[in-house]
Amino acid sequence: MNTLARKLIAKDFYLHRWLIIGSTVAGLIGLLIAAEGKIRFNIGMLIWLTTIVGFGVVLAMFAIANERKERTLQFVLSLPISHGDYVRIKVVGLMLCFLLAWAILSAGAVTLIAVMPNLPDGLLPFAVLLCGFLLANYSVVLCGALHTASEGMMTLVIVVTNMAITLFIFMVGALPSLNDHLQAPAPVWNSTFWNVLAVEIATLLVTLSLPYLVAARRRDFN
Amino acid sequence: MTQTKHIEMRKVRKGFRFFTLEDLSLDLEPGQIMGLVGPNGAGKSTTIRLLTGLIAPDAGEVRVLGHLMPDNQAIAKRDIGFVSDEMRLFGHATLAWHMQFVASIYPGWDPQYAKTLVRRFNLHPEQNVSGLSSGEHVKAVLLLALARRPRLLILDEPTSGLDPVARHELLGEFMDVLRDEDRSILFSSHNTVDVERISDRITFIDRGRLIDSSDKEDFLERWRRIQLQLPAGAKLPDLPHVVSRVVDGQFVTLTTNRFSPDFLSFLGSGVREVQRMSLEEIFVANVMHHREARGL
Repeated sequence: MNTLARKLIAKDFYLHRWLIIGSTVAGLIGLLIAAEGKIRFNIGMLIWLTTIVGFGVVLAMFAIANERKERTLQFVLSLPISHGDYVRIKVVGLMLCFLLAWAILSAGAVTLIAVMPNLPDGLLPFAVLLCGFLLANYSVVLCGALHTASEGMMTLVIVVTNMAITLFIFMVGALPSLNDHLQAPAPVWNSTFWNVLAVEIATLLVTLSLPYLVAARRRDFN
Repeated sequence: MTQTKHIEMRKVRKGFRFFTLEDLSLDLEPGQIMGLVGPNGAGKSTTIRLLTGLIAPDAGEVRVLGHLMPDNQAIAKRDIGFVSDEMRLFGHATLAWHMQFVASIYPGWDPQYAKTLVRRFNLHPEQNVSGLSSGEHVKAVLLLALARRPRLLILDEPTSGLDPVARHELLGEFMDVLRDEDRSILFSSHNTVDVERISDRITFIDRGRLIDSSDKEDFLERWRRIQLQLPAGAKLPDLPHVVSRVVDGQFVTLTTNRFSPDFLSFLGSGVREVQRMSLEEIFVANVMHHREARGL
């Protein structure tokens, strides 16, 4: 990655620094509430989950859709970069921006479950899968934002990915090979866990590769 | 050794659903200011988007500073300063941050010149861009383009929305850029007064086609409006190079695009007045003549 690309990535970090910091703090507050006991656990985790999902959506909208809508994209594209460079820089830069908050909040959630005495460690595999799903989910939103200039399409992507979180929690959480071990005193890393994780990683790789294969090759940039 | 042309467009075509830019050929030599003039929807912005690599031609070839566009746009844009009236800076960052950001990218950034422009444009670097007025915003974008000392400045309607004083200041800055003979400017506008003031070459474009391109002085010398009074019962013969003729009884007003003393002597003693035309009048007459010729 060349110097200009690094500067443009640094630019995204600078412009979205308060969003990254604010979301990380909000998510950590959620985790602190969750640590207060079993009743508050659900409220805290809901705040944690909403924060990560909301952060991803707002980041993609601000950094890509709004850049296009507010015509700051013209300024960025007046710099010595190609369309392909722009797409690659956005994928790497916005993924890193998201990863910073996601990594802290995911590590916090996993640590919370591991250290809280009244929570079974059997929850850990599901928590790891949920964190992986949130990362894959963000990559879908990012991929959508890089491919469409239509607000309607982008809204559809956001609605679908948000619905997918609820579906994931209910469907994957209900898989007997995972659900049966949620209350276990020790985590069970069985084949179902690894299969779901593999699907999440595959989704992540596909959605992060698509912009390189499609959006970066566009000859017209509107 | 021949210098590389700063802009070369050869038989360029770019089609959209309701508009097509057709068969556009255009050259800009180093040291020139070209005014690209056309009514709204003529294709000025499309031409500029092709030149800045934002879109690719369907046919033909676009070269900027010798580089094929859009394929080699990253290299070409190292020496291009592009400003559009639609371009926006990041609202939540200060002008100082933008200056530092652009300076870190362009080795040719001139900090002294940037400071001079900040003073001349009465800008406040510590102010957030979101707090700038529209005129200040255009000045800020221009500052960022000018202070990097580009070899080619491409300006898409840069003075629209500016008050007369600000326009006057900016046009002065553009002239300043040209003190270096290796620099050039392509300047699109529908404001013919601005174009007439600073351009030394003018290209007229209308409905996706180039209709005329020449030196400014050449346009001003070639175009004349001639008032004639014909003798009673006389009829004016068909004349070459007459783009419009308005007859009111014995009085005829001719507009020619190839004025010469020979043309005048051919008209004889009936000539009452020969008027020079402003660029705006030439532009309108040119556009109407070409639309008529194309049956539009």
